[in-house]
Amino acid sequence: MSNTVRFWLMVLPGTVFLVVFLLLPLIAIVVFSFWRTESYTLIQDWNLDNYATIFSHSAYLTFLARALVMATCVSLVCLAYAWPVAYFIVRYGGRYRLILLLSTAAPFLTGEILRVAALQQILGPIGVVNMALTRFGFDPIEALMYSNMATGTGLVYLWLPFMVLAIYLSLLNFDFALLDVAKITGAGPLRAFVEVTLPLNRAGTAIGIVLVFIPTLASATTSQFLGGPDGALYGNILARQFGSTGTWALGSAMGVVLFLASALALVIVWRAVGDLRRSGIVIKGAPKP
Amino acid sequence: MNHRSGFGVQVLLLAALYLFLYGPILYVIYVSFQIDSIWPFPPTLTLEHHTDLWQRRDYHAALWNSVTIGFGTGLIATLFATLAAMAILKYRSPGSGLVAGLFLAPLFIAPILIGISSLMFSRTVLGMPGSIFGATLANSTYATAFALLVVLAQFARYDWRLDDAAMVFGARPWRTFWEITLPITWPAMLGAFIVSFLLAFNNLEISFYNLGATPTLPTLAWGALRHGISAELYALAAIINFAVFALFTVLYLLLRLGTIRID
Repeated sequence: MSNTVRFWLMVLPGTVFLVVFLLLPLIAIVVFSFWRTESYTLIQDWNLDNYATIFSHSAYLTFLARALVMATCVSLVCLAYAWPVAYFIVRYGGRYRLILLLSTAAPFLTGEILRVAALQQILGPIGVVNMALTRFGFDPIEALMYSNMATGTGLVYLWLPFMVLAIYLSLLNFDFALLDVAKITGAGPLRAFVEVTLPLNRAGTAIGIVLVFIPTLASATTSQFLGGPDGALYGNILARQFGSTGTWALGSAMGVVLFLASALALVIVWRAVGDLRRSGIVIKGAPKP
Repeated sequence: MNHRSGFGVQVLLLAALYLFLYGPILYVIYVSFQIDSIWPFPPTLTLEHHTDLWQRRDYHAALWNSVTIGFGTGLIATLFATLAAMAILKYRSPGSGLVAGLFLAPLFIAPILIGISSLMFSRTVLGMPGSIFGATLANSTYATAFALLVVLAQFARYDWRLDDAAMVFGARPWRTFWEITLPITWPAMLGAFIVSFLLAFNNLEISFYNLGATPTLPTLAWGALRHGISAELYALAAIINFAVFALFTVLYLLLRLGTIRID
Protein backbone atom coordinates (compact mmCIF):
# COMPACT_ATOMS: atom_id res chain seq x y z
CA MET A 1 0.00 0.00 0.00
CA SER A 2 1.52 3.29 -1.04
CA ASN A 3 1.72 6.30 1.24
CA THR A 4 -0.81 8.19 -0.89
CA VAL A 5 -3.36 5.44 -0.41
CA ARG A 6 -2.65 5.35 3.34
CA PHE A 7 -3.04 9.13 3.50
CA TRP A 8 -6.45 9.10 1.84
CA LEU A 9 -7.62 6.11 3.93
CA MET A 10 -6.81 8.00 7.12
CA VAL A 11 -8.42 11.30 6.13
CA LEU A 12 -11.41 9.57 4.53
CA PRO A 13 -13.67 9.22 7.62
CA GLY A 14 -13.40 12.88 8.58
CA THR A 15 -13.63 14.07 4.99
CA VAL A 16 -16.81 12.08 4.33
CA PHE A 17 -18.26 13.30 7.62
CA LEU A 18 -17.57 16.96 6.83
CA VAL A 19 -18.84 16.67 3.27
CA VAL A 20 -22.10 15.06 4.43
CA PHE A 21 -22.76 17.10 7.57
CA LEU A 22 -21.17 20.45 6.70
CA LEU A 23 -21.00 20.95 2.92
CA LEU A 24 -24.22 19.17 1.88
CA PRO A 25 -26.31 21.14 4.44
CA LEU A 26 -24.81 24.39 3.13
CA ILE A 27 -25.66 23.35 -0.43
CA ALA A 28 -29.13 22.36 0.78
CA ILE A 29 -29.92 25.85 2.06
CA VAL A 30 -28.80 27.30 -1.27
CA VAL A 31 -31.35 24.99 -2.95
CA PHE A 32 -34.10 25.75 -0.41
CA SER A 33 -33.52 29.48 -0.81
CA PHE A 34 -35.12 29.13 -4.28
CA TRP A 35 -38.17 27.28 -2.89
CA ARG A 36 -41.04 28.64 -0.84
CA THR A 37 -42.64 27.85 2.50
CA GLU A 38 -46.34 27.42 3.08
CA SER A 39 -47.76 26.81 6.56
CA TYR A 40 -44.47 25.53 7.97
CA THR A 41 -43.70 23.23 5.00
CA LEU A 42 -41.06 23.65 2.28
CA ILE A 43 -42.52 23.45 -1.21
CA GLN A 44 -40.38 22.75 -4.25
CA ASP A 45 -41.50 25.61 -6.42
CA TRP A 46 -38.46 27.29 -7.97
CA ASN A 47 -38.58 31.07 -7.67
CA LEU A 48 -36.53 34.13 -6.76
CA ASP A 49 -39.13 35.66 -4.42
CA ASN A 50 -37.05 35.17 -1.28
CA TYR A 51 -34.18 37.17 -2.71
CA ALA A 52 -36.62 39.75 -4.09
CA THR A 53 -38.05 40.10 -0.56
CA ILE A 54 -34.62 40.59 0.99
CA PHE A 55 -33.45 43.15 -1.55
CA SER A 56 -36.71 45.09 -1.92
CA HIS A 57 -37.56 45.52 1.76
CA SER A 58 -35.25 48.10 3.18
CA ALA A 59 -35.62 46.51 6.64
CA TYR A 60 -33.51 43.45 5.73
CA LEU A 61 -30.82 45.57 4.12
CA THR A 62 -30.81 47.95 7.08
CA PHE A 63 -30.21 45.06 9.47
CA LEU A 64 -27.48 43.73 7.20
CA ALA A 65 -25.84 47.16 7.01
CA ARG A 66 -26.01 47.48 10.80
CA ALA A 67 -24.40 44.08 11.19
CA LEU A 68 -21.67 45.05 8.72
CA VAL A 69 -20.90 48.26 10.62
CA MET A 70 -20.93 46.36 13.91
CA ALA A 71 -18.65 43.60 12.59
CA THR A 72 -16.23 46.15 11.13
CA CYS A 73 -16.00 48.15 14.37
CA VAL A 74 -15.63 45.03 16.52
CA SER A 75 -12.90 43.62 14.22
CA LEU A 76 -10.97 46.91 14.31
CA VAL A 77 -11.16 47.17 18.11
CA CYS A 78 -10.05 43.54 18.45
CA LEU A 79 -7.25 44.13 15.97
CA ALA A 80 -5.95 47.21 17.77
CA TYR A 81 -6.11 45.49 21.13
CA ALA A 82 -4.90 42.02 20.20
CA TRP A 83 -1.71 43.15 18.46
CA PRO A 84 0.15 44.58 21.46
CA VAL A 85 -1.14 41.80 23.69
CA ALA A 86 -0.07 38.96 21.37
CA TYR A 87 3.23 40.73 20.70
CA PHE A 88 3.95 41.02 24.38
CA ILE A 89 3.11 37.37 25.10
CA VAL A 90 5.34 36.07 22.30
CA ARG A 91 8.24 38.45 22.87
CA TYR A 92 8.40 38.62 26.65
CA GLY A 93 6.26 35.66 27.77
CA GLY A 94 9.22 33.26 27.89
CA ARG A 95 8.25 30.09 29.72
CA TYR A 96 4.88 31.60 30.64
CA ARG A 97 3.81 32.04 27.01
CA LEU A 98 1.45 29.06 26.95
CA ILE A 99 -0.32 29.90 30.19
CA LEU A 100 -0.64 33.58 29.19
CA LEU A 101 -2.14 32.59 25.83
CA LEU A 102 -4.48 29.94 27.22
CA SER A 103 -5.71 32.42 29.81
CA THR A 104 -7.00 34.67 27.03
CA ALA A 105 -8.77 31.70 25.42
CA ALA A 106 -10.27 30.01 28.48
CA PRO A 107 -13.39 32.23 28.77
CA PHE A 108 -14.25 31.33 25.17
CA LEU A 109 -14.99 27.76 26.21
CA THR A 110 -17.60 28.74 28.81
CA GLY A 111 -20.08 29.36 26.02
CA GLU A 112 -21.75 32.41 24.60
CA ILE A 113 -24.86 32.45 26.76
CA LEU A 114 -23.06 32.44 30.12
CA ARG A 115 -20.63 35.11 28.97
CA VAL A 116 -23.53 37.28 27.86
CA ALA A 117 -25.25 36.68 31.20
CA ALA A 118 -22.06 37.70 33.00
CA LEU A 119 -21.83 40.88 30.94
CA GLN A 120 -25.48 41.77 31.51
CA GLN A 121 -24.63 41.65 35.18
CA ILE A 122 -21.94 44.29 34.62
CA LEU A 123 -23.43 46.50 31.90
CA GLY A 124 -27.23 46.30 32.24
CA PRO A 125 -29.44 48.93 33.87
CA ILE A 126 -29.12 47.07 37.17
CA GLY A 127 -25.58 46.03 36.32
CA VAL A 128 -22.87 46.75 38.84
CA VAL A 129 -21.38 49.72 36.96
CA ASN A 130 -24.58 51.73 36.82
CA MET A 131 -25.67 50.60 40.29
CA ALA A 132 -22.38 51.87 41.65
CA LEU A 133 -22.74 55.19 39.81
CA THR A 134 -26.26 55.82 41.12
CA ARG A 135 -25.23 54.72 44.61
CA PHE A 136 -22.50 57.32 44.69
CA GLY A 137 -24.76 60.02 43.30
CA PHE A 138 -23.71 60.02 39.65
CA ASP A 139 -25.92 59.64 36.60
CA PRO A 140 -26.01 56.13 35.14
CA ILE A 141 -24.27 55.71 31.76
CA GLU A 142 -27.05 55.23 29.21
CA ALA A 143 -24.66 53.90 26.56
CA LEU A 144 -23.92 50.84 28.69
CA MET A 145 -27.44 49.52 28.92
CA TYR A 146 -29.21 47.90 26.03
CA SER A 147 -27.40 49.73 23.28
CA ASN A 148 -25.18 49.03 20.29
CA MET A 149 -22.27 50.02 22.52
CA ALA A 150 -23.18 47.20 24.90
CA THR A 151 -23.54 44.72 22.02
CA GLY A 152 -20.17 45.83 20.64
CA THR A 153 -18.53 45.39 24.03
CA GLY A 154 -20.09 41.94 24.31
CA LEU A 155 -18.85 40.90 20.87
CA VAL A 156 -15.31 42.11 21.57
CA TYR A 157 -15.49 40.13 24.80
CA LEU A 158 -16.56 37.00 22.92
CA TRP A 159 -14.25 37.03 19.92
CA LEU A 160 -11.08 38.90 20.98
CA PRO A 161 -9.40 35.58 21.95
CA PHE A 162 -9.54 34.48 18.28
CA MET A 163 -7.65 37.57 17.16
CA VAL A 164 -5.04 37.14 19.92
CA LEU A 165 -4.59 33.48 18.98
CA ALA A 166 -4.19 34.17 15.25
CA ILE A 167 -1.61 36.94 15.75
CA TYR A 168 0.16 34.90 18.44
CA LEU A 169 0.57 31.91 16.12
CA SER A 170 1.86 34.19 13.39
CA LEU A 171 4.37 35.93 15.68
CA LEU A 172 5.67 32.55 16.92
CA ASN A 173 7.27 32.10 13.50
CA PHE A 174 8.55 35.66 13.32
CA ASP A 175 12.27 36.20 13.70
CA PHE A 176 12.62 39.06 16.18
CA ALA A 177 16.28 39.44 15.21
CA LEU A 178 14.96 41.27 12.14
CA LEU A 179 13.96 44.10 14.48
CA ASP A 180 17.56 44.46 15.64
CA VAL A 181 18.58 44.70 12.00
CA ALA A 182 15.96 47.41 11.48
CA LYS A 183 17.23 49.25 14.53
CA ILE A 184 20.86 49.05 13.46
CA THR A 185 19.98 50.37 10.02
CA GLY A 186 18.32 53.35 11.68
CA ALA A 187 14.60 52.57 11.90
CA GLY A 188 12.68 53.78 14.96
CA PRO A 189 10.30 51.39 16.76
CA LEU A 190 7.25 52.64 14.84
CA ARG A 191 8.93 52.40 11.45
CA ALA A 192 10.31 48.94 12.30
CA PHE A 193 6.79 47.82 13.20
CA VAL A 194 5.15 49.27 10.09
CA GLU A 195 7.83 48.11 7.68
CA VAL A 196 9.01 44.83 9.20
CA THR A 197 6.80 43.30 11.88
CA LEU A 198 3.38 44.04 10.41
CA PRO A 199 4.09 43.07 6.79
CA LEU A 200 5.72 39.81 7.82
CA ASN A 201 2.71 38.91 9.97
CA ARG A 202 0.05 40.15 7.57
CA ALA A 203 -1.35 36.69 6.82
CA GLY A 204 -1.89 35.91 10.51
CA THR A 205 -3.42 39.35 11.01
CA ALA A 206 -5.77 38.83 8.05
CA ILE A 207 -6.84 35.43 9.41
CA GLY A 208 -7.51 37.05 12.79
CA ILE A 209 -9.68 39.77 11.22
CA VAL A 210 -11.71 37.22 9.26
CA LEU A 211 -12.08 34.92 12.29
CA VAL A 212 -13.61 37.82 14.25
CA PHE A 213 -15.56 39.43 11.42
CA ILE A 214 -17.49 36.36 10.25
CA PRO A 215 -19.09 35.26 13.54
CA THR A 216 -19.68 38.90 14.55
CA LEU A 217 -21.54 39.60 11.30
CA ALA A 218 -23.87 36.69 12.09
CA SER A 219 -24.24 37.34 15.81
CA ALA A 220 -27.72 36.98 17.25
CA THR A 221 -27.49 36.02 20.92
CA THR A 222 -25.32 38.92 22.04
CA SER A 223 -27.46 41.61 20.43
CA GLN A 224 -30.62 39.87 21.65
CA PHE A 225 -29.60 40.22 25.29
CA LEU A 226 -27.37 43.30 25.28
CA GLY A 227 -28.71 45.35 22.37
CA GLY A 228 -32.15 46.27 23.65
CA PRO A 229 -35.28 46.94 21.55
CA ASP A 230 -33.45 48.80 18.75
CA GLY A 231 -30.37 46.66 18.84
CA ALA A 232 -31.49 43.82 16.55
CA LEU A 233 -28.90 42.76 13.98
CA TYR A 234 -29.17 40.64 10.84
CA GLY A 235 -28.61 37.44 12.83
CA ASN A 236 -31.68 38.16 14.97
CA ILE A 237 -33.92 38.54 11.93
CA LEU A 238 -32.39 35.40 10.41
CA ALA A 239 -33.02 33.43 13.61
CA ARG A 240 -36.63 34.61 13.63
CA GLN A 241 -37.32 32.88 10.28
CA PHE A 242 -36.54 29.55 11.91
CA GLY A 243 -38.47 30.28 15.07
CA SER A 244 -41.91 31.78 15.36
CA THR A 245 -42.55 32.67 11.71
CA GLY A 246 -41.37 29.34 10.25
CA THR A 247 -40.47 30.90 6.89
CA TRP A 248 -37.61 28.52 6.17
CA ALA A 249 -37.15 29.32 2.50
CA LEU A 250 -36.76 33.03 3.24
CA GLY A 251 -34.47 32.13 6.15
CA SER A 252 -32.37 29.98 3.83
CA ALA A 253 -32.05 32.87 1.38
CA MET A 254 -31.01 35.15 4.28
CA GLY A 255 -28.44 32.53 5.25
CA VAL A 256 -27.07 32.48 1.70
CA VAL A 257 -26.85 36.30 1.68
CA LEU A 258 -25.01 36.16 5.00
CA PHE A 259 -22.62 33.55 3.64
CA LEU A 260 -21.94 35.66 0.54
CA ALA A 261 -21.35 38.75 2.68
CA SER A 262 -18.83 36.78 4.78
CA ALA A 263 -17.14 35.46 1.65
CA LEU A 264 -16.95 38.99 0.25
CA ALA A 265 -15.35 40.21 3.48
CA LEU A 266 -12.84 37.38 3.24
CA VAL A 267 -11.94 38.37 -0.32
CA ILE A 268 -11.61 42.07 0.60
CA VAL A 269 -9.32 41.32 3.55
CA TRP A 270 -7.26 38.96 1.41
CA ARG A 271 -6.99 41.56 -1.35
CA ALA A 272 -5.87 44.14 1.20
CA VAL A 273 -3.15 41.75 2.31
CA GLY A 274 -2.10 41.27 -1.28
CA ASP A 275 -2.05 45.02 -1.84
CA LEU A 276 0.10 45.40 1.22
CA ARG A 277 2.58 43.10 -0.42
CA ARG A 278 2.44 44.92 -3.76
CA SER A 279 2.66 48.35 -2.19
CA GLY A 280 6.29 47.67 -1.47
CA ILE A 281 6.01 47.70 2.31
CA VAL A 282 8.38 44.77 2.49
CA ILE A 283 12.03 44.59 3.33
CA LYS A 284 13.82 45.67 0.20
CA GLY A 285 15.56 42.83 -1.53
CA ALA A 286 13.72 40.13 0.38
CA PRO A 287 12.34 37.43 -1.89
CA LYS A 288 8.62 37.89 -2.39
CA PRO A 289 6.64 34.82 -1.37
CA MET B 1 8.11 56.02 22.62
CA ASN B 2 11.19 54.40 24.07
CA HIS B 3 11.57 50.71 24.77
CA ARG B 4 10.79 50.76 28.52
CA SER B 5 7.59 52.75 28.27
CA GLY B 6 6.42 50.55 25.38
CA PHE B 7 6.99 47.54 27.59
CA GLY B 8 5.03 49.12 30.44
CA VAL B 9 2.10 49.98 28.18
CA GLN B 10 1.97 46.38 26.94
CA VAL B 11 1.98 44.99 30.48
CA LEU B 12 -0.90 47.34 31.32
CA LEU B 13 -2.83 46.30 28.20
CA LEU B 14 -2.39 42.63 29.03
CA ALA B 15 -3.49 43.17 32.63
CA ALA B 16 -6.51 45.16 31.41
CA LEU B 17 -7.38 42.32 29.02
CA TYR B 18 -7.38 39.75 31.81
CA LEU B 19 -9.47 42.10 33.97
CA PHE B 20 -11.91 42.58 31.07
CA LEU B 21 -12.15 38.83 30.42
CA TYR B 22 -12.21 37.57 33.98
CA GLY B 23 -13.87 40.47 35.85
CA PRO B 24 -17.42 39.60 34.74
CA ILE B 25 -16.83 35.88 35.37
CA LEU B 26 -15.41 36.40 38.87
CA TYR B 27 -18.20 38.85 39.64
CA VAL B 28 -20.88 36.32 38.64
CA ILE B 29 -19.25 33.68 40.84
CA TYR B 30 -19.18 36.19 43.72
CA VAL B 31 -22.81 37.19 43.21
CA SER B 32 -23.95 33.56 43.12
CA PHE B 33 -23.02 33.34 46.82
CA GLN B 34 -24.74 36.60 47.81
CA ILE B 35 -28.26 37.10 49.17
CA ASP B 36 -28.76 40.43 47.38
CA SER B 37 -27.75 39.77 43.78
CA ILE B 38 -28.31 43.34 42.53
CA TRP B 39 -26.12 45.26 44.96
CA PRO B 40 -24.19 42.59 46.88
CA PHE B 41 -22.17 44.96 49.07
CA PRO B 42 -21.25 44.46 51.83
CA PRO B 43 -21.05 40.70 51.21
CA THR B 44 -23.71 38.49 52.79
CA LEU B 45 -22.80 34.87 52.12
CA THR B 46 -25.42 32.28 51.24
CA LEU B 47 -25.57 28.91 49.50
CA GLU B 48 -29.29 29.34 48.81
CA HIS B 49 -28.99 29.93 45.05
CA HIS B 50 -26.80 26.87 44.62
CA THR B 51 -29.08 24.58 46.62
CA ASP B 52 -32.10 25.95 44.71
CA LEU B 53 -30.38 25.10 41.45
CA TRP B 54 -29.60 21.54 42.52
CA GLN B 55 -33.25 20.98 43.36
CA ARG B 56 -34.45 22.00 39.90
CA ARG B 57 -35.32 18.75 38.07
CA ASP B 58 -35.26 20.38 34.61
CA TYR B 59 -31.61 21.34 35.08
CA HIS B 60 -30.71 17.73 35.87
CA ALA B 61 -32.12 16.48 32.55
CA ALA B 62 -30.48 19.38 30.71
CA LEU B 63 -27.11 18.66 32.34
CA TRP B 64 -27.29 15.04 31.22
CA ASN B 65 -28.20 16.06 27.65
CA SER B 66 -25.32 18.57 27.52
CA VAL B 67 -22.88 15.95 28.79
CA THR B 68 -24.12 13.50 26.14
CA ILE B 69 -23.64 16.04 23.33
CA GLY B 70 -20.25 17.05 24.70
CA PHE B 71 -19.05 13.46 25.03
CA GLY B 72 -20.28 12.41 21.59
CA THR B 73 -18.78 15.48 19.95
CA GLY B 74 -15.52 15.01 21.84
CA LEU B 75 -15.18 11.42 20.59
CA ILE B 76 -16.13 12.17 16.97
CA ALA B 77 -14.02 15.33 16.66
CA THR B 78 -10.95 13.80 18.35
CA LEU B 79 -11.10 10.65 16.23
CA PHE B 80 -11.38 12.47 12.88
CA ALA B 81 -8.90 15.19 13.83
CA THR B 82 -6.31 12.70 15.09
CA LEU B 83 -6.51 10.53 11.99
CA ALA B 84 -6.29 13.57 9.71
CA ALA B 85 -3.42 15.19 11.64
CA MET B 86 -1.40 11.94 11.57
CA ALA B 87 -2.00 11.50 7.86
CA ILE B 88 -1.07 15.11 7.12
CA LEU B 89 2.16 15.10 9.13
CA LYS B 90 3.25 11.54 8.44
CA TYR B 91 2.72 11.25 4.70
CA ARG B 92 3.12 14.90 3.58
CA SER B 93 0.81 14.11 0.67
CA PRO B 94 -0.05 16.80 -1.92
CA GLY B 95 -3.69 16.46 -0.79
CA SER B 96 -2.80 17.77 2.69
CA GLY B 97 -3.65 21.40 1.94
CA LEU B 98 -7.07 20.52 0.59
CA VAL B 99 -7.89 18.28 3.55
CA ALA B 100 -6.66 20.84 6.10
CA GLY B 101 -8.76 23.47 4.31
CA LEU B 102 -11.90 21.34 4.57
CA PHE B 103 -11.28 20.47 8.23
CA LEU B 104 -10.63 24.11 9.20
CA ALA B 105 -13.45 25.55 7.05
CA PRO B 106 -15.96 25.60 9.97
CA LEU B 107 -13.81 28.31 11.61
CA PHE B 108 -14.77 30.58 8.71
CA ILE B 109 -18.48 29.76 8.76
CA ALA B 110 -20.70 31.51 11.30
CA PRO B 111 -21.99 29.03 13.93
CA ILE B 112 -25.58 30.13 13.28
CA LEU B 113 -25.20 29.10 9.61
CA ILE B 114 -23.95 25.67 10.65
CA GLY B 115 -26.98 25.50 12.97
CA ILE B 116 -29.67 26.41 10.46
CA SER B 117 -28.16 24.52 7.51
CA SER B 118 -27.86 21.28 9.48
CA LEU B 119 -31.41 21.79 10.79
CA MET B 120 -32.79 22.18 7.26
CA PHE B 121 -30.69 19.29 5.94
CA SER B 122 -31.58 16.73 8.60
CA ARG B 123 -35.24 17.71 8.66
CA THR B 124 -35.85 17.85 4.92
CA VAL B 125 -33.28 15.55 3.34
CA LEU B 126 -32.67 12.96 6.07
CA GLY B 127 -36.21 13.15 7.45
CA MET B 128 -34.74 13.36 10.97
CA PRO B 129 -36.46 15.67 13.44
CA GLY B 130 -34.39 17.54 16.01
CA SER B 131 -32.57 15.30 18.47
CA ILE B 132 -29.49 15.04 20.65
CA PHE B 133 -27.96 12.91 17.90
CA GLY B 134 -28.45 15.61 15.28
CA ALA B 135 -27.07 18.27 17.61
CA THR B 136 -24.02 16.09 18.30
CA LEU B 137 -23.30 15.66 14.58
CA ALA B 138 -23.69 19.39 13.87
CA ASN B 139 -21.45 20.33 16.80
CA SER B 140 -18.86 17.80 15.66
CA THR B 141 -18.31 19.60 12.35
CA TYR B 142 -17.43 22.79 14.24
CA ALA B 143 -15.42 21.10 16.99
CA THR B 144 -13.31 19.03 14.56
CA ALA B 145 -11.65 22.26 13.39
CA PHE B 146 -10.57 23.13 16.94
CA ALA B 147 -9.55 19.55 17.68
CA LEU B 148 -7.38 19.51 14.54
CA LEU B 149 -5.61 22.72 15.63
CA VAL B 150 -4.81 21.23 19.05
CA VAL B 151 -3.60 17.89 17.66
CA LEU B 152 -1.59 19.44 14.82
CA ALA B 153 0.21 21.79 17.20
CA GLN B 154 1.18 18.89 19.44
CA PHE B 155 1.89 16.27 16.75
CA ALA B 156 4.25 18.67 15.03
CA ARG B 157 6.67 17.86 17.86
CA TYR B 158 6.41 14.09 17.42
CA ASP B 159 9.16 12.33 15.51
CA TRP B 160 7.48 10.12 12.92
CA ARG B 161 10.71 8.21 12.37
CA LEU B 162 9.74 6.32 15.54
CA ASP B 163 6.84 4.83 13.59
CA ASP B 164 9.18 3.91 10.76
CA ALA B 165 11.55 2.28 13.23
CA ALA B 166 8.71 0.16 14.63
CA MET B 167 7.70 -0.84 11.11
CA VAL B 168 11.27 -1.79 10.27
CA PHE B 169 11.23 -4.16 13.23
CA GLY B 170 8.13 -5.78 11.79
CA ALA B 171 5.25 -4.08 13.62
CA ARG B 172 2.05 -3.73 11.61
CA PRO B 173 0.48 -0.24 11.41
CA TRP B 174 -2.05 -0.98 14.21
CA ARG B 175 0.58 -2.35 16.54
CA THR B 176 2.81 0.64 15.79
CA PHE B 177 -0.05 2.92 16.71
CA TRP B 178 -0.95 1.12 19.96
CA GLU B 179 2.58 0.54 21.20
CA ILE B 180 4.49 3.58 19.93
CA THR B 181 2.34 6.46 18.68
CA LEU B 182 -0.49 6.38 21.21
CA PRO B 183 1.59 6.03 24.39
CA ILE B 184 3.61 9.09 23.33
CA THR B 185 0.94 11.33 21.84
CA TRP B 186 -2.11 10.66 24.07
CA PRO B 187 -1.92 14.06 25.82
CA ALA B 188 -2.63 15.76 22.48
CA MET B 189 -5.69 13.60 21.91
CA LEU B 190 -7.03 14.11 25.41
CA GLY B 191 -6.46 17.86 24.97
CA ALA B 192 -8.42 17.83 21.72
CA PHE B 193 -11.19 15.86 23.44
CA ILE B 194 -11.42 18.40 26.28
CA VAL B 195 -11.63 21.35 23.90
CA SER B 196 -14.30 19.76 21.69
CA PHE B 197 -16.25 18.48 24.69
CA LEU B 198 -16.40 21.98 26.20
CA LEU B 199 -17.30 23.65 22.89
CA ALA B 200 -20.25 21.29 22.35
CA PHE B 201 -21.28 21.20 26.01
CA ASN B 202 -21.64 24.98 26.13
CA ASN B 203 -22.76 25.58 22.56
CA LEU B 204 -25.98 27.47 21.95
CA GLU B 205 -26.13 28.65 18.35
CA ILE B 206 -25.50 25.28 16.69
CA SER B 207 -27.28 23.06 19.21
CA PHE B 208 -30.37 25.25 19.54
CA TYR B 209 -31.61 24.61 16.00
CA ASN B 210 -30.86 20.89 16.00
CA LEU B 211 -32.28 19.89 19.36
CA GLY B 212 -36.02 20.08 18.75
CA ALA B 213 -37.63 20.25 22.18
CA THR B 214 -34.72 18.62 24.03
CA PRO B 215 -33.29 20.97 26.67
CA THR B 216 -29.57 21.45 27.33
CA LEU B 217 -27.94 23.73 29.89
CA PRO B 218 -27.25 26.54 27.36
CA THR B 219 -30.80 26.43 25.94
CA LEU B 220 -32.31 26.43 29.45
CA ALA B 221 -30.06 29.34 30.38
CA TRP B 222 -31.11 31.11 27.18
CA GLY B 223 -34.77 30.64 28.09
CA ALA B 224 -34.20 31.81 31.65
CA LEU B 225 -32.24 34.86 30.52
CA ARG B 226 -35.16 35.98 28.35
CA HIS B 227 -37.12 36.53 31.56
CA GLY B 228 -34.27 38.52 33.02
CA ILE B 229 -31.26 37.25 34.85
CA SER B 230 -32.13 35.19 37.91
CA ALA B 231 -30.32 33.96 40.98
CA GLU B 232 -30.11 30.33 39.90
CA LEU B 233 -28.55 31.47 36.61
CA TYR B 234 -25.69 33.00 38.62
CA ALA B 235 -25.26 29.70 40.42
CA LEU B 236 -25.25 27.83 37.10
CA ALA B 237 -22.74 30.25 35.59
CA ALA B 238 -20.53 29.93 38.67
CA ILE B 239 -20.52 26.12 38.53
CA ILE B 240 -19.95 25.91 34.76
CA ASN B 241 -17.14 28.47 34.88
CA PHE B 242 -15.53 26.59 37.72
CA ALA B 243 -15.76 23.30 35.81
CA VAL B 244 -14.37 24.88 32.64
CA PHE B 245 -11.37 26.25 34.51
CA ALA B 246 -10.73 22.93 36.20
CA LEU B 247 -10.71 21.20 32.80
CA PHE B 248 -8.63 24.01 31.37
CA THR B 249 -5.98 23.46 34.00
CA VAL B 250 -5.89 19.81 32.96
CA LEU B 251 -5.57 20.93 29.33
CA TYR B 252 -2.66 23.21 30.22
CA LEU B 253 -0.86 20.41 32.04
CA LEU B 254 -1.43 18.08 29.08
CA LEU B 255 -0.03 20.62 26.63
CA ARG B 256 2.92 21.21 28.92
CA LEU B 257 3.48 17.49 29.24
CA GLY B 258 3.12 17.43 25.47
CA THR B 259 4.63 14.77 23.34
CA ILE B 260 8.02 13.36 24.12
CA ARG B 261 10.55 14.90 21.83
CA ILE B 262 13.43 12.90 20.54
CA ASP B 263 16.07 14.93 18.79
